[in-house]
Amino acid sequence: MTDAARNFIETYERERAALPGAGLAWLGARRAEALKAFAEAGLPHRRLEDWRYTDLSRALGGATLSPAPLPDGAVVLPDAAKRASVAAFHDIDRHVIVFVNGRLRSDLSGTKLPAGVTLMSLGNALNSTWARPLVETKVEAQAGNVIALNTALMRDGIGLHIARGAKLDTPLHLLFLANDDGASHVRNLVRLEEGAEATIFETHLDAGARNYFVDHVTDVSLGKGAALTHVKIQDEAADAIHLASLTAELAASSKLSSFSLTLGAKLSRSQSFVTFRGEGAEAHVNGATALSGTQHGDHFCIVDHAVPNCSSRTLFKTVLDNASTGVFQGKVIVRPDAQKTDGRQMTNALLLSRDAAMNAKPELEIYADDVQCAHGSTIGELNREAIFYLRSRGIDEPTARQLLISAFLDDAFETVPHEAARDDLRKLAASWFERHREKTA
Amino acid sequence: MLEIKNLHVAVDGKEILKGIDLTVEAGKVHAIMGPNGSGKSTLSYVLAGRDGYEVTEGSVVYKGRDLLAMNVDERAAAGVFLAFQYPIEIPGVTTMTFLRTALNAQRKARGEDELDAPRFLKLVREKSKPLNVTDDMLKRALNVGFSGGEKKRAEILQMALLEPSLAILDETDSGLDIDALKVVAEGVNTLRSPERAMVVITHYQRLLDYIVPDVIHVLSKGRIVRTGGKELAGELERTGYAEFAA
Repeated sequence: MTDAARNFIETYERERAALPGAGLAWLGARRAEALKAFAEAGLPHRRLEDWRYTDLSRALGGATLSPAPLPDGAVVLPDAAKRASVAAFHDIDRHVIVFVNGRLRSDLSGTKLPAGVTLMSLGNALNSTWARPLVETKVEAQAGNVIALNTALMRDGIGLHIARGAKLDTPLHLLFLANDDGASHVRNLVRLEEGAEATIFETHLDAGARNYFVDHVTDVSLGKGAALTHVKIQDEAADAIHLASLTAELAASSKLSSFSLTLGAKLSRSQSFVTFRGEGAEAHVNGATALSGTQHGDHFCIVDHAVPNCSSRTLFKTVLDNASTGVFQGKVIVRPDAQKTDGRQMTNALLLSRDAAMNAKPELEIYADDVQCAHGSTIGELNREAIFYLRSRGIDEPTARQLLISAFLDDAFETVPHEAARDDLRKLAASWFERHREKTA
Repeated sequence: MLEIKNLHVAVDGKEILKGIDLTVEAGKVHAIMGPNGSGKSTLSYVLAGRDGYEVTEGSVVYKGRDLLAMNVDERAAAGVFLAFQYPIEIPGVTTMTFLRTALNAQRKARGEDELDAPRFLKLVREKSKPLNVTDDMLKRALNVGFSGGEKKRAEILQMALLEPSLAILDETDSGLDIDALKVVAEGVNTLRSPERAMVVITHYQRLLDYIVPDVIHVLSKGRIVRTGGKELAGELERTGYAEFAA
């Protein structure tokens, strides 16, 4: 076992009595079981097929893994002029909830929410009957047991419950700030009852911390006809490690739209596990990534068509400069009963440098015969002819490149249903180019 | 305006242009005709500054400046414009965004104010109308899914907006039916002015019925082998390029 894995186990032994829901027998058993599964498997390494291109075990070797301290005093946000992600979603009317070092800092009782919408801390959520099935997620053992690590150590987070037919009036914006080095284990639980609707924004960024580990899990359960839009921005510090998983179970006619923009961290892995439980449901799992330096960004996505008549769309666009590395591993599973499945998965990467590398492994696993499925992967460079054409009209080379890169990413942004959020993502991508241009100039 | 002296150009080590001498004065339209493979497109690309064209000898002076020392976008900002034989498709960049970026880049390079959205929109509408460039085309990605005629009209629209001092039209007639050709030629003729020089490159005489040149040069095997007035086009149409290709 690696030091990092041992460190997590020791943290659990030391702190388990203080973890949220410590008094709940079912949860205690659940945590112990999860820890056992994690301890047996250890941290994922590259000999596991699901982790073939991302060595989390090695990356965590040099990280600060003891729990990040409870923040004291005021946290200073980075200057928005330098870090555009600070300003993202800012002009949208929304409810803002702040976490620092993975600990909830906002007073949830101060958030005025419509009838039927309940927002609570993870500790309170774990006491609610709706939350238990979410924590007993079926996909926990998949992809190297990293969700089990979170189940054992989850320390803070929110629970969002929306009653039948109710709607969250304006988006809920969860802002995660890292102020001190250390590990944070956050769990968010989201349950939308029949016909409920919500939009959740997430921003992850550093505000003082440098070397830290974010372990983040969001479990989503959508009732019949419910609809959730989820937009996430990951802009962690250059030395940070960001590990995030989204699990979602979709009842009949429900709709999930998930988008993640990956800009930061030394190493990041973003996992999505979507399972269709009822017919006529729809899932959109999309993302855009722009990396430079020696950054490593991994998107792992499994869409499980367990029932007939559901549709899924996955589009990931990746731009890689310098010696950065991108990974996409995606799988669409169509179970024997899942006739009339419509599943599509596409990943496109643009390499801006000879030293950048993209690993893409899209997979289809189809056991039904009356389905429409397609997947594809492209890896390419900027079109030199196109650059010449743009320059021949007086556009300088950096601007020409930026136009082409923006155009490349734009297909992914187009999938975000919230218009103002989509514009903010575009602005963020543009600021990435500028930041990046200054660095390389 | 443009003075080319003893220009030798090689591509992949193979000499394509073998000593071109050409002087184009402001206000004049020069046509360059010649068979396939004579070096017509090479001449247009080397003037625009495309990579892969190695000037081994000679000079090109544009408005008193060494054109060959300028990079591609500097040449454009200085007023050199190439209408492409095969305009490039740019997915994801709308024609409107492209036009505005290009115009403002050139204005900025010349130290002029950038045009704001309303002023730009008004200008584009005004220039688009005579060329039958519809709002729909302006909203679509540049050249993506455009017909041959639409692509060429979009090229002429760019020229009309950017108002170059030296316009080089590379086989602007290729792929056009007679109606499209008339629209494009009319667009080009409107841009003729005492301050502007044009070099019209074509294989066929047909285009020159509509854009009547002041001077015609025949290019063959990398050299200008004959120079004459506009009547030379009719002669070539009758005799073909056989005597020059031989």
